[in-house]
Amino acid sequence: MSVSANDNAARPSLRGFLAKYSVLIAFAAIVIFFSVASPTFLTPANLFNVLVNNVVMLAIVALGLTIVISSGGIDLSVGVSVDMASMVFVMLLAAGYSGVTGVAGGLGAALIVGVLNAILITRLNISPFLATLGVLFIGQSTQQLATSGGQPIYLTSGYAADQFNAIARTALFGVPTPVIVLIVLAFAVHVLLHRSVFGRYVQAMGAQPGVAWYSGIRVSRELSMVHVLCALLAGATGILLSATVKSYVPLSGNAFLLDAIGATFIGTTLSRERKPSVIGTLLGVLLLAIVKNGLLLVGWNFYWQQVGIGVLVFLVLAASFGLRRAAH
Amino acid sequence: MSATTLHADASVPDEKQAAAKSAGRRFGALVVRLGAIAAFAAIMAYFVIFAPGFTSTFNLINVVEQSAILGVLAYGMTAVIIGGGSDVTEGGIDLSIAANMGLCAAVYATLLSMGYGDFLSVLAAIAVGMGVGALNAVAVVGLGILPLLATLAVLNVAAGMELTLTQNTVVGASSPLLGVLVSGSFLGISALAWALIVFSAIMIAVIHGTAFGLRLYAVGGHPEAARAAGLSVPFYVSFTYVLSGFCAAVASVLTVSRLSASTPGSGELLLSVLAAALLGTVFSRRFVPTMGGTLLSVLFIGLLANGFQLLNVSSYWVNGVQGALILLVVAITSFARGSEGSR
Repeated sequence: MSVSANDNAARPSLRGFLAKYSVLIAFAAIVIFFSVASPTFLTPANLFNVLVNNVVMLAIVALGLTIVISSGGIDLSVGVSVDMASMVFVMLLAAGYSGVTGVAGGLGAALIVGVLNAILITRLNISPFLATLGVLFIGQSTQQLATSGGQPIYLTSGYAADQFNAIARTALFGVPTPVIVLIVLAFAVHVLLHRSVFGRYVQAMGAQPGVAWYSGIRVSRELSMVHVLCALLAGATGILLSATVKSYVPLSGNAFLLDAIGATFIGTTLSRERKPSVIGTLLGVLLLAIVKNGLLLVGWNFYWQQVGIGVLVFLVLAASFGLRRAAH
Repeated sequence: MSATTLHADASVPDEKQAAAKSAGRRFGALVVRLGAIAAFAAIMAYFVIFAPGFTSTFNLINVVEQSAILGVLAYGMTAVIIGGGSDVTEGGIDLSIAANMGLCAAVYATLLSMGYGDFLSVLAAIAVGMGVGALNAVAVVGLGILPLLATLAVLNVAAGMELTLTQNTVVGASSPLLGVLVSGSFLGISALAWALIVFSAIMIAVIHGTAFGLRLYAVGGHPEAARAAGLSVPFYVSFTYVLSGFCAAVASVLTVSRLSASTPGSGELLLSVLAAALLGTVFSRRFVPTMGGTLLSVLFIGLLANGFQLLNVSSYWVNGVQGALILLVVAITSFARGSEGSR
């Protein structure tokens, strides 16, 4: 298998090229299509709107999943981390605590989810899929019990709303704070994953867990770190989400899960070894966000958007996997 | 392609481990398996003693009826996991199964409400279900997309098509077939319960009683060896996805009969289906997915929810206890398998 892959690298073919850049080609084609189909698509105001409303939060969750998927695992409980951070953050503000305390409390709640995942996976040897599935169920129950069955908490005015605005409605040099948070986090995760010793360990665990263990990498310590980081990133998303919509809606975090997994795996098609990367993930998120926005602008309703996104993801994956298989 | 290679690589240490596995380890595994079953039995015993009316025939049949939909879906998922291998990121999985059921239910209810008869409507639902399954098969087998990703994309397509078809509304439906399923009974057992019993019998017979089922396990357990033995791996894997689509269609008829309508939100069943299929492995000697194990875990999940209801425990606890049980069972299982079993 690896031999044929090397042969293929030596003789780059058109199919190989198409397979490698299928995401970029699809991305360019989609931008061109929507620019022609809708006069408002390529306006700065619209692109800004896409960035702030569709990209930022999904991207931060997807960054966390990028780390986890790089390590060869998965985290189905990112929605719980989003929700728990959001819940504690909003409840603390509702009780009159300061914004800083609220943010710290929210991140602390997400941290607990991450530590729980880490213990289940590294100490009890449960596979990441099942461990995080179990945590997802427990997290859902916890929220239902804490909110008498899923009652949302709205804080649209007063003290808490000011705290929310301080996070979501401020800007630095004209760039909204949530976008700055995304840029900082994306840069940090990029350095961590692609330029640090930790990142190299994570990639090694993802490629060859057995070899990583025999090479002296402390697999359980690094894996714990991976899951804690993922939960914290999801927690940051929960805080940004609550601050933006000025409320906590129970069980709303799960909506990110499938899109974030999709975006991360779309990103893996950029590399020949199918490794997740921060740049690939961000591209995947952008692709999903632009399709959603574009379909809305050309008048497709919400329901058709979902079909459109499913078909698009399917086609991109088919092009990438299918052409690569043909190129072998 | 890479998925099958990885499987082959991963199974090498397993074999060494199996060879090295001492009788003591096997005894330990037996104790653990019995322990897990004993834990299930203890929970049931608690309900029998403390939950009023838990053991009444009426209640038990009610549980079987409620479990019919989850059971049929879980069989489809189990078949996919058997044929694709149980590695959860690289192996077989069908994330689209619940959304597929929603789409089939929408097609079935819409056609009925447009005045088409039962025969055509059921046929259309089955065609749609198997069509979605075939799409998964093409993506996984033909294009080599990871099952997790391929079925994720198809999930979105199926869920979106259900929404466009129904505009996110409840589509009421009634027909002679639905009438029979709702109120018919035979030997004192209702039609829905019969549906689960008959479907279970067929699935267990086909997967565990025929050469075909044995070959399916061979394909999932070690694709390279299965191919060397002359089995067509693509055929068997494709079959499981189409079967999964068929199960979704059957479940859709059951869900429409139970609710007298097609309703949005069927996608939420996905996690329970996964839990049932994966939890079922604890009932097998080698901790592999089996139809019988899936049936037991489906009934267990049903009885758990039912027991809580009878004890007047808030239903909000059910998810959490289900999650905790999955973790408990899997932790015990991976302990029994040895420290590297779950890696």
